[in-house]
Amino acid sequence: MTGTQLLMTFPVTADSHTLESYCARGGYATLEKVVREMRPEQVTKEVAASGLLGHGGAAFPAGRKWGVIKLNDEQPHYLCANADEGEPGTFKDRWILEHAPHLLIESMLIAAFALQVRHAFVYIRGEFDLPYRRIAGAVEEAYAAGLLGAGIANSAFSCDVIVYRGAGSYVCGEASGLLTSLEGRKGYPRNRPPRLTVRGLYQRPTVINNVETLANITGIVKGGADAFRKVGTAKSPGTQLISISGHVARPGVYEVEYGYPFAKFIHDDCGGVLAGRKLKCVIPGGISTKVLTAAEIEPLTLDHASVAGAGSGLGSGGMVVVAEGTCMVRLLQVLVRFYHHESCGQCTPCREGMGWLHKIVDRIVAGEGRLDDIDRLIAISEANDGTTICGMGDAAGYATVGILAKYRDEFEHWIDNGRSRCDGRLEAVGAEWAVPEAALHG
Amino acid sequence: MVEIFIDGDRVEAEDGQTVMQAARASGHVIPFFCWHPSLSVPGNCRICMVEIEGDGTAAGWLDIACNMPVAKGMHVLTDSPRVRARRKQMLELVTLNHPVDCGICDKAGECTLQDYHYEYNGEPSVSRDVKVRATKHHDLSDRIVLDNERCILCSRCVRFTREISKSDGLGIQNRGDHSLVRAVEDGSFDRDPYSDNVIDICPVGALLSKPFLHKARVWYLEPTASICPGCERGCTVKVWHRKSAWKLNRLDPAANARIDRVTPLENPAVNGPWICNKGRDLARIFERPRATEAMLKGSAVAPQTALDVARALIAAARHPVALVSSWGSNEELAAFDRALAARFASHVKADWLPVPGERIEDDVLIKADKNPNRAGALARFPALPVDPRAAFGADCDLVLVWGEGFASDLLPASAKVIRLDAWRHADNARADVFLPITVQTERSGHYTNFAGVVSPFEACFAKPPGVADAEALFAALALPLLVEATT
Repeated sequence: MTGTQLLMTFPVTADSHTLESYCARGGYATLEKVVREMRPEQVTKEVAASGLLGHGGAAFPAGRKWGVIKLNDEQPHYLCANADEGEPGTFKDRWILEHAPHLLIESMLIAAFALQVRHAFVYIRGEFDLPYRRIAGAVEEAYAAGLLGAGIANSAFSCDVIVYRGAGSYVCGEASGLLTSLEGRKGYPRNRPPRLTVRGLYQRPTVINNVETLANITGIVKGGADAFRKVGTAKSPGTQLISISGHVARPGVYEVEYGYPFAKFIHDDCGGVLAGRKLKCVIPGGISTKVLTAAEIEPLTLDHASVAGAGSGLGSGGMVVVAEGTCMVRLLQVLVRFYHHESCGQCTPCREGMGWLHKIVDRIVAGEGRLDDIDRLIAISEANDGTTICGMGDAAGYATVGILAKYRDEFEHWIDNGRSRCDGRLEAVGAEWAVPEAALHG
Repeated sequence: MVEIFIDGDRVEAEDGQTVMQAARASGHVIPFFCWHPSLSVPGNCRICMVEIEGDGTAAGWLDIACNMPVAKGMHVLTDSPRVRARRKQMLELVTLNHPVDCGICDKAGECTLQDYHYEYNGEPSVSRDVKVRATKHHDLSDRIVLDNERCILCSRCVRFTREISKSDGLGIQNRGDHSLVRAVEDGSFDRDPYSDNVIDICPVGALLSKPFLHKARVWYLEPTASICPGCERGCTVKVWHRKSAWKLNRLDPAANARIDRVTPLENPAVNGPWICNKGRDLARIFERPRATEAMLKGSAVAPQTALDVARALIAAARHPVALVSSWGSNEELAAFDRALAARFASHVKADWLPVPGERIEDDVLIKADKNPNRAGALARFPALPVDPRAAFGADCDLVLVWGEGFASDLLPASAKVIRLDAWRHADNARADVFLPITVQTERSGHYTNFAGVVSPFEACFAKPPGVADAEALFAALALPLLVEATT
């Protein structure tokens, strides 16, 4: 077990996502209590007191974000659930959307009540098919049951939830790019200031929270902030959904209490590295966080402070396990190809820099690299650090610098010899890649 | 007012200003590509990075000046080592996929990227990788050609069509380093009467004027301040022509006295930094075939002979009527007023009417009356009645027609006609006396626009032989009247 669980509290069955099942588990009782007995500022106070951190990657305190919204300021406010889960390696929100869509809707309604929102949005990634059908179906169920729309649960509170499908752009997962896309324009991120909580969707105060962040709201309001703070660590209260993939025996989505030992999670709970290989490194929180070597993760615990102390981050909880024998040059090639493909092209450092990173790594792989190319890759990454409109330029830089700092010798080897030091035998061993029994039934 | 410090200088900035605006107002230079004083702030070129000094409690940081609001007591460095290093990095990235084909680029010599490269980088490319290939010659509209390789995607042109001309004619296709500026398919950019402004605001040579394409290197040209006569807005423009030091002796001499291009002359009181496409095409107005010979009923005569006949006609007339040009300058109108107005019943006529397909009026710049000095003329003389016959009366025996646009058929058949015109028209030969006059680019003067703003224009070309200023002709025509008065 991976500590206390707050979200994965029920057995997943064929109809555990339905309104009926959700209500049987006590669903929407918290919402009814909130709309009858609480005032908006009480809800915000509770969320702020819980210390809930954003689960989208930046770990910004949710209560502080909500606190910027001025109540009763005679203008519309908007709430948006960021379900554009595009960070490679991350698929945790998908679990909530597929199996607990009503938990998200109830939480969004509580948040909408707290923030005086009349229209809330779920911006969902275009590639998500089942998650879209589940959340859209849940919204229909909720409307039919009088839990959405005008006069929710026979109270004065009204709120509509609109599910909007993106078209699959990575940058549209960035909050301001998401809003621009939601407004029907090209998904370009926006400059700050102004902050989105001041001028967001349609130039109105807007709160955007990650699906997992929102999903925690119901539990916090139901059980109280103090109960929530008892879970996890002092600085990272609560739990984190971690989607683990790569060379790992039991990939999947796990709910981990903050503070759980990192190595124990990989080796015990996830069954260790695939086919009994040694662990080479771990990308801890989506590909935009720096890699951690097998030795580095040993003393770490799964919370923001601990992983940040090792120079990386827990990010979006998209963990990728990399086995010994994997070529880091090719790994970086995959990453920069992704960033090149997904750069929106708005601001100079990312638009030009991503293509340049990609070309240089491609050239190294083609055997035409030079030793000064490595420093050039680092220089391009540094030119993107803090200079771009959104965080994508920085993220690509972290990923690149993270790999180069720890595996520079592999790049030098390829440049000197025209071939990988890890000769690709990992991929050649086909039989070892069969999915283990344990992963299917565990 | 907010007190800030830029490079150590105390600067009084206004509330709500950005650091960029405060720096420009106080004479501090911060480079920029995408920012434009009249457009929204996209913050995408990242070249305007400045350093905000830490105050002891917090470390300093770099941020873009164009989107940073001024805050009380902030210390901004525009040229610190960190800023210089960042700028150089940004320029490396801007030029990474730029073809640097300045040798065949019309923008060379007035290109922001060129200037900044020499100012802030000046070093050869550090890249060994192939550049991104894109469309080298794309017809963005009938008037504008786009070179996507040169484009640095600053989005100024796109924002112009959205925020100023409101045609929404341009957008950006694709993403990343394959982004392409393209016109929307419904042809709204073709119909945008302000489209050519995007050529001026393009910081590189991506958007180029088709009529001006490869016609001249800009350093051989010089501008003369002038006014667009296309409508009563009277936008101030720069008329570009060859520098006298660079006259082309071996080519057609006409090339030396040619309007190479017209660009806006920024003027907050009248047109801001913009003009419409009609103003770009002044050559089409001014370089029509000129009338250069004085004529008596279509037969060429010496200018003095024609002048004498005209004097005699004026002296003999009992009920003369004058149709005053709304293209005449205030000086010419004053000269007419002084010399001849007492002798004539004068009316202001419209020299130009809207042509089919032309935008009549909008709330950007274009005004309905297509004459530059209608307001100046109406300040002195009444307008011609809607039915011009009402102005002539039954006993009119002489009409002086100043300027074009009034057909001979509309004149009373019994009256003698004196015509002054700059261009060749069939009606010229039907006049009893015809006197050729100069066009606006051959003289200087002032126009009064619809709002009463008086703007000057300067002469940039020599008068053709045999052609006189209307101002001088009015004085000459007035002489016999003075003689008559004394006898």
